[in-house]
Amino acid sequence: MLAATLLAASPTSRATPPDAAHLVVQLKRAPPARTAYTEVRFSGLLDRPLILRGEMEYLGPGKLAKRVDKPYREQTSVENGTATMQRGDKPARSLPLAQIPELESFLRGFSALLGGDAQTLTRDFTLDASGNDARWQIVLKPRDARLARRVESIRVDGAASEPLCFRTHEADGDDSALLVGPLAATTLPPRVSTMQVDALCRGVKP
Amino acid sequence: MRVESHRFAFVALWLLALAALAAFAWHALRITTDLRSFMPPPQTPDQKLLMEQIGEGPGSRLLLLAIEGGDEATLASLSRGLVEKLHADAHFEQAFNGAFDPSALDEHWLPYRWLLSPTLDTHALDAAYLSDQLAQRVEDLASPAATLLKPWLARDPTLETLALAQRWSPPKAPALRDGVWFSSDGAALLLAQTHAPGFDPAAQREAIDALQATFDALPDRGEAHLVISGPGWFSVRIDAQTREEADRIGAASTIGFILLLLVAYRSVPSLLLGGLPVASGALAGLATLALVFGQAHGITLAFGFTLLGVAQEYPLRVLSHRRAGEDALASVRALWPLLATAIVSAAIAYLAFLASGVPGLQQLAVFTIAGLLAAGLSTRYLLPRVLPARFRDVADTPGLARATRWLDTVPRPRWLPWLLAALGVGVLGFAPGPTWQNDLAALTPLPQDLLLRDAKLRGELGAPDVRYLLVLHGDSPDAVLARSEQIEPQFDKLVAQGALDAVELPSRYLPSLATQRARQAKLPDAPALEASMAEASRDLPFREGLFAPFVADVQAARSLAPLTAAEFAKSPFGARLASMLVQRDDGWLGLATLSGVRDVAALERAVHASNGAVSLLDLKAASESLVAAYRERILRALGVALVLLALTVGIALRSVRRAWHVLAPMTLATLLVVVVERACGISLSLFHLVAVTLAAGLGLHYALFFERRSDDAAEARRTLHATLVCVISALLVFGLQALSSMPVLRAIGLTVALGVGFHFCLSILMARARRE
Repeated sequence: MLAATLLAASPTSRATPPDAAHLVVQLKRAPPARTAYTEVRFSGLLDRPLILRGEMEYLGPGKLAKRVDKPYREQTSVENGTATMQRGDKPARSLPLAQIPELESFLRGFSALLGGDAQTLTRDFTLDASGNDARWQIVLKPRDARLARRVESIRVDGAASEPLCFRTHEADGDDSALLVGPLAATTLPPRVSTMQVDALCRGVKP
Repeated sequence: MRVESHRFAFVALWLLALAALAAFAWHALRITTDLRSFMPPPQTPDQKLLMEQIGEGPGSRLLLLAIEGGDEATLASLSRGLVEKLHADAHFEQAFNGAFDPSALDEHWLPYRWLLSPTLDTHALDAAYLSDQLAQRVEDLASPAATLLKPWLARDPTLETLALAQRWSPPKAPALRDGVWFSSDGAALLLAQTHAPGFDPAAQREAIDALQATFDALPDRGEAHLVISGPGWFSVRIDAQTREEADRIGAASTIGFILLLLVAYRSVPSLLLGGLPVASGALAGLATLALVFGQAHGITLAFGFTLLGVAQEYPLRVLSHRRAGEDALASVRALWPLLATAIVSAAIAYLAFLASGVPGLQQLAVFTIAGLLAAGLSTRYLLPRVLPARFRDVADTPGLARATRWLDTVPRPRWLPWLLAALGVGVLGFAPGPTWQNDLAALTPLPQDLLLRDAKLRGELGAPDVRYLLVLHGDSPDAVLARSEQIEPQFDKLVAQGALDAVELPSRYLPSLATQRARQAKLPDAPALEASMAEASRDLPFREGLFAPFVADVQAARSLAPLTAAEFAKSPFGARLASMLVQRDDGWLGLATLSGVRDVAALERAVHASNGAVSLLDLKAASESLVAAYRERILRALGVALVLLALTVGIALRSVRRAWHVLAPMTLATLLVVVVERACGISLSLFHLVAVTLAAGLGLHYALFFERRSDDAAEARRTLHATLVCVISALLVFGLQALSSMPVLRAIGLTVALGVGFHFCLSILMARARRE
């Protein structure tokens, strides 16, 4: 405790990593909270990334909605442990999340992030923060072995109390980035690279 | 002293001979427990199918399992672990927990998906269909479900394996959690199919013990435990429960019996030696079964030992009738004509069972006849040589003289038996409930909570009804499959109308050869498919050449020989179909299980419309008709036995009038037993019939001995003493059984106890020679 106080007072305090739980609490938004997004998905199966645009909604603990506007229309919502998806004019399909526990814990983590619920988050993930209060990153690694087989880590980049970018590294090497807030409207080249997205998230010029 | 040592040597020799018999029977006799060997040969096609299906049908070999008491992840991993182990267990044909593992479809089987899945019936693998499918896959890749899909995308972009998995999963499957079945209250659910027939308790116990041991050996079980239900488990439970209760009652009545004999004869040696003839009879019966059949059904033995209870009377008669100062051998000689009449007439009567045509009843006849003869002959020729010289004449038993005198003065109106007979027949006409109990299950009921648990598990698992079976007829397996395809739409409609929840037709697993060929003909060649794929993915971001494995699979599928049922049986999914196809002398049968049948009439109409190509088997009705046929054979055998008995007794007594005095009380008492049971609303089962037979055998003894004319007052007292000992011991043994909670034991106990009472009273009333 004393050491921490000394460190905080020392001139090297700028290099001290911010407290992850504190950062998460700052992310808390009063539901319903909406944000536009741009999602970039890189996959070994694809020769160019998928770029989706739409709007995300945080509707309270365990309640999420995501709308894809481009390049196709899709509405996904998660509520009461059930994911419902509707594409175009086709009938909606719903799936109890309990069938896929790894998906359930992933979405629970995501909802906890948007709800600023550090407690739930630290139960499911190990948290590791870096950067400084103005420009920070939190790396979440799943504690649950089943989720870990699918998802290696989730990285959140943010500035002050605002998240900018959610990066999901999957265990098979595939990668996706969800750009929100000020980054949501960024125009991206159709064959954008992971490096370019990475730079965008960190706020450095490529 | 020389006489004493001679006696001991004789006892030792006798025991040695019994030990030798026991050793022979132990090694040579195989005990079977399959219910079917105790059934008559089936006559109708339905009965024939029933006999095959009893215990061996897919439904009755299914064990319903639940793993309870743990968190979801633990239960799911236990479920997976158990199924994996059961797949390797020789007791089990298959095990399911809802997990569909596409990797079970290996290189060899994957191309067949085009022939097995119905997709090509409604779509062609053209650019339009492929472009729609590929566009959906792009969207799937952007969805949270992408991780599950990615490993399969290159080889199966149209998700044909998923369509097959859905088609092959049970019609009303439970919810999947963590990839395996779960009940609504959070227990992991599984189905396991045994090789052993469902109604073979010994084989089922072996399988269930193996299952429990496998579960207990799984790692990280924590508090979780296995719950088992289903027909096989029930037969094990009933078997154990009946045995347990029979043992308990047996122990209690043995103690009572020993006390009674000690009071009656006041001699421990007499008591011990008196047991030897029955033991000789039982072992001789077993040895004869081993010689003649090499095997015996468990029920044969249970009934046989019951019927052999008559033989206990032989030594008791010898003990009671020995007069003071008389040599045992001399008193046996005096008794022998009467005893021999009883033994021979009973043995001749049981010959009727030999003609019944039911293996179990034939075994019963052989066992009982051999047992009665051995017990009788050893009572005549061996027992007197080993009985101690010193004994007490029972004629001096206090109170016996007064009882005899009282019996002599009891009024015996001649009209009373006729009135009883008339009343009895009248009551029979008005007795409540059905006369015959045709439902075998009613005799083996289980505690209500077990049945409720079974119903709940069955509902959750969507396991098929055990009662109805749809039977498809055909000349070959392929003809059965074609028939199955043909009726599929009709039954889908019935399901949609709510007549039943689901039907599991054989064609759900394997289409007919013609259908497979038709699908194969729709598969495009490589250039056409590549062109369609190029067009379909032109605007999509898929990597160049990604779908080469898909194109290769389609090409492989084009030249495959369509799957026959025999070939499909070798696949990881073949066991299910194999159990649905049955070869018969005149062709093949397909068995489709039905679940949640609500409207039997609608099903019957649909079946009727098929003009005999499909039939609906009501296993309950078939089993009831079988039981009725069985009973008819027993009744016929008993009728013949009665005639033989009357002839033997008539010839032995050389007088129609004396034979009438013996047979009339026996017949009337038997009638009254039936009357009382029917008046109480009891429906008669096979077990009642066997018990009535035993009681009649005992009654024959009472009547024969009472009928014997004797001017000696002491001898009359001895006869009464012997009969009283026999009556009280029978009432004790069977009265205790009548209190049992198991219906089988209760049926036998109540009937014999009632019978003994009636036979005794009526023998006194009608047969007992009046001493003027």
